[in-house]
Amino acid sequence: MSALIRMRLAGLLRGGRILAPAIAVLIVLGVIYGGGPSPAAVAYGYSAAALFPVLAWQTKVLLDTEPDGQRRLARVALGARREALAGLLAATWLGLFVSAVAMVAPWLFRGIETGRGVLSGTLLGVLAHLLAVPPAVAVGALAGRAVTRGVRNGVAVLVVAAVLVVVLGLQGSFAPWLVPPVMATARALNDVEPPPATTLIQLIVWAVLWCAAAFAIYARLRRTRS
Amino acid sequence: MRFDGVWFRYGRRADWTLQAIDATVEPGRTVVVLGRNGAGKSTLLQLAAGVLRPSRGAVLDRPPVIGWVPERFPADQPFTAGDYLHRMAEVRGQDPRAADEWIERLLLTEHTGTRLADLSKGTAQKVGLAQALTARPGLLILDEPWEGLDAVARTLIPEIVAEVTGAGGIVLVSDHRGEIATLPEATHWTIADATLSPAPPPSAPPSAPARPPARSHDEAPSHDEVVIEVAVPRATADRAVAELRATGHRVLRVRDEAGAPAGPQARDKAGAAAGPQARDEAGAEAGQQTRDEGLAG
Repeated sequence: MSALIRMRLAGLLRGGRILAPAIAVLIVLGVIYGGGPSPAAVAYGYSAAALFPVLAWQTKVLLDTEPDGQRRLARVALGARREALAGLLAATWLGLFVSAVAMVAPWLFRGIETGRGVLSGTLLGVLAHLLAVPPAVAVGALAGRAVTRGVRNGVAVLVVAAVLVVVLGLQGSFAPWLVPPVMATARALNDVEPPPATTLIQLIVWAVLWCAAAFAIYARLRRTRS
Repeated sequence: MRFDGVWFRYGRRADWTLQAIDATVEPGRTVVVLGRNGAGKSTLLQLAAGVLRPSRGAVLDRPPVIGWVPERFPADQPFTAGDYLHRMAEVRGQDPRAADEWIERLLLTEHTGTRLADLSKGTAQKVGLAQALTARPGLLILDEPWEGLDAVARTLIPEIVAEVTGAGGIVLVSDHRGEIATLPEATHWTIADATLSPAPPPSAPPSAPARPPARSHDEAPSHDEVVIEVAVPRATADRAVAELRATGHRVLRVRDEAGAPAGPQARDKAGAAAGPQARDEAGAEAGQQTRDEGLAG
């Protein structure tokens, strides 16, 4: 399966289709850190939330780079389950890499305030990005051509999901659990003081349950959609 | 391998593409799937390969390693042919060099550095064949394999099919152009009106599987045929005749001119290209050994 993951990542890089999401990442980072240094937890909390739609989009781009025929050849070679899993893992690797870049880059431009709370803030930032990548991969995969079959449907799923993550994630939302806790994590980190452990555990459980549901739907759909 | 009450449609509201397919293929057998365009041949093959999942029913006892050659190779990928084949071998858990045997056999060596998108249709089709065969499949599925292939590669297909079935594997081939004559001892399935019937189509009676044009080997060339004279080493003459017939050509006769100093003799029976060297037919018959009858057709 690792060979298929490498093949898909290589296809994305060589085909040049990574370029558009990469530019989007740079724009997001420029907007967040352009105004001068901010506390680590606050900055990283917003970075994870702002990157969420980009991470979902790059997942769709990664999965859609491969022609349908090649995805089916991979399915014959590896079996339906492992072919689908290889796509999700490739997207997860890419998401983690982009998150790492997004966390290291501000240090080069003094975007993070050094001093009190920088260590705990950075660790919380790592958590925030780890909570954002898997749901973003799930949204991107559900918007992928293998599932949605057409450009219009794919873009609609991606855009609607990205908007709902923000709208339903706002404070006082009527159904926050319908979306992953991306906005909730950003809010919890929007303070120099670290949030209480119970809040963090709550966010982790929420993200895990949401991802379990989303990936189950993806697995179910991919059984018949090759 | 068994199709157990397989039904398939492409969408919930779509018409059934295939209905109540019940069929069994024994190991070591070749099945040729016939039917007109859009009849559902590719769908049946993709169900066999596991690319598609039956809407109802199941495909059972499928060999574990499957090689699928799609009708159109997906060439829109940023890899060279060699890189692609090595990577596909790796995806199958093989050594990347496992692909080299088939790169050589399918005469792809000179194309290994060419980007997939720049390959000609026939060469891309060969890359599709190579990725399927590198896996040493127990089930080989060929969707219109002759499409776009040159004469040399065409002769390879019966050879490849024989190798897979010889090793106890199953081969499923779809064909709408009647090239099936090149696959001896194949079972024929016909798909029409979304159902599968084991008999060959009415246009091709079982005694003479569809070999268009159905003309005997000793019939004189018609106006839409030309005669090409070919010299082959004596040792490989039998094989050459078999291969030519396998690719659908009519071998009119074999001439053994041992000891005869004469150069190539134009013997166009149709008379269109008869030059000064042309002998009259009776003289030619007398001067050479005709071995046509003794060769397997």
